[in-house]
Amino acid sequence: MRAAERGILSTHDYKKSATRILIVVMSIVILAMVLSMLYPIAVTFLNAFKSTIDVNSFPPKLLPREWVTTNFKEGWDLMNLPLFMRNSLFVFLGNLIVTVAALGGAAFALSKLNLPGRKLIFLFFLSTLFIPPSTYIVPNFVNLKDLGLMNSFFALWLPAGASAFNMLLLKSFFDDINNEIFEASRIDGASNWYGFTRIALPLAMPIISTLAIFIFSSAWNDWFWPSLIMHDDQHYPVASAIYKNVINARGIKLNIKFAILAMVAVPPMVIFLLFQRFIMRGLHLGGVKG
Amino acid sequence: MDHTTVVPARPPAATNSRRPSRIRKHGSGYLFLLPAIVIFVLFLWLPIVKGVIFSFQDVDFVKGNSWVGFDNYKTVFHDSTIGQSIKNTLYYMALCLIIGFWVPILFAVAISEVRRLQGALRVMAYLPNVIPLVVLYGLWRWIYDPVGPINAALQWIGLDQIMFMTDPKWSMASLVIMETWQSFGSAMLIYLAAVLSVPKDWYEAAEIDGAGIWARIRHITLPSIKGLIGLMLIMQLIATSQGYQSQLAMLDGGPVNATMTYGLKIVKYAFTQLNYGVASAMGVLMFIVLSVLAIIQFRLNNQGDR
Repeated sequence: MRAAERGILSTHDYKKSATRILIVVMSIVILAMVLSMLYPIAVTFLNAFKSTIDVNSFPPKLLPREWVTTNFKEGWDLMNLPLFMRNSLFVFLGNLIVTVAALGGAAFALSKLNLPGRKLIFLFFLSTLFIPPSTYIVPNFVNLKDLGLMNSFFALWLPAGASAFNMLLLKSFFDDINNEIFEASRIDGASNWYGFTRIALPLAMPIISTLAIFIFSSAWNDWFWPSLIMHDDQHYPVASAIYKNVINARGIKLNIKFAILAMVAVPPMVIFLLFQRFIMRGLHLGGVKG
Repeated sequence: MDHTTVVPARPPAATNSRRPSRIRKHGSGYLFLLPAIVIFVLFLWLPIVKGVIFSFQDVDFVKGNSWVGFDNYKTVFHDSTIGQSIKNTLYYMALCLIIGFWVPILFAVAISEVRRLQGALRVMAYLPNVIPLVVLYGLWRWIYDPVGPINAALQWIGLDQIMFMTDPKWSMASLVIMETWQSFGSAMLIYLAAVLSVPKDWYEAAEIDGAGIWARIRHITLPSIKGLIGLMLIMQLIATSQGYQSQLAMLDGGPVNATMTYGLKIVKYAFTQLNYGVASAMGVLMFIVLSVLAIIQFRLNNQGDR
């Protein structure tokens, strides 16, 4: 038997009856886990298809008695979802550009340019990792007000570049790229700018994709902070708008509510299913580096 | 690294003529750092320093700030609802450990043994992580509803109705169960990677020496991921000690302040009572307490890197 083909259990274990019982029990536990993961997600979508009477009946049934598709139209018309989704995409794109330009550039310089004092500068960035964000949430708000950034996308875009964690991810990626590529290009007379934009960034596409997914998910997710900073619908990202107009609002019919929630949940789920690979990589990096 | 994948194109010949001086070379290097440094100073260090300053001030947007000495701190220590919020936070942290911490470890070990469909299991376990928070809140309010699915199931097996949201005994636990449901998948995947990286011949050797399944898990699997478990524990404590979002979104700190955590109290002081001075003082105090945890995390992290 090859060692690689076994786990904690060996083929020998499988023959014992006690192990078989254990395996059955664990299979049931895992199945229960899968069902409890899938059930709430399924009801979000199934309730969105129910009629008003159907969704309010007790005990609740899993499947709709009849499939009502007009709920989505009604939910779509209830609020300006395209505008809010556009705002969220604005936040995402701006955050991504600032992250790649500011943090990517800094990570590149720290990793590849042999600058005197780079250890100290790295420490300047890194030390912010140990400052818990909710301890300065209030002065952060007042600071943005002092800087005159209230009700502006810049209040979300610029601070997105102040993430020591994302810089760490980029820097450790650059650290793994061979120095010779950059030295060779430098001997050929290439500038640092050339090295960054034409060599480092194209090579860093995997890590940038991972970052993009996380930045997208936070842009799509954050509801509280943007609702403090933004004052009108022209700036509200979708999460803040949903919180204000759907979660905290009375008088919206339950099935319409679920139709709106389902529509908001679809984009991140599609992105996840398409780009799982990058998410798993990011999780691993996050787990190792904290 | 595969060298064939990258062929740097020849740079323009114009820059080829002269070797840049040392200062020039480094100068352009520092320019790469400049945007990040400006952003970190303006949006991280400045708020942090301002937080300390505000904690000694009465912050007034109209009349301007004035110094009040330790008054804000005195308010913090004399406000009994803040004492209550600290208890609530500790209770929340404890519940997160009891209900949530061991779940991903258990499933990581169990799923590591699954031969078929392991990929599908990973995807399903992670799926709740992708659900936007506001959808999570709307969904679970319905799940916990007095006429929602859980109460329907309880009635079906003949148990009493549970007021998950409005009963102060249940409200915090309900939030923790909801959060565990959402976030356990990502922790599970991190543990799973660690469990799968344990060399298989260790199990082989242990089995030959007569170690049973439980002994193998206890003496090989768990010690191998011990460092990771410690790190995840500290990270969870740091995260949960600051928790306020689901408490705010689902229950606004109620019923009768049962879910009013310290973090939520900061938010309330600042954005409901508009007392930014006291809120900043609470932030500074929290920072002092949490830096102890952060130092432990840093040391664990360094151990993990070795």
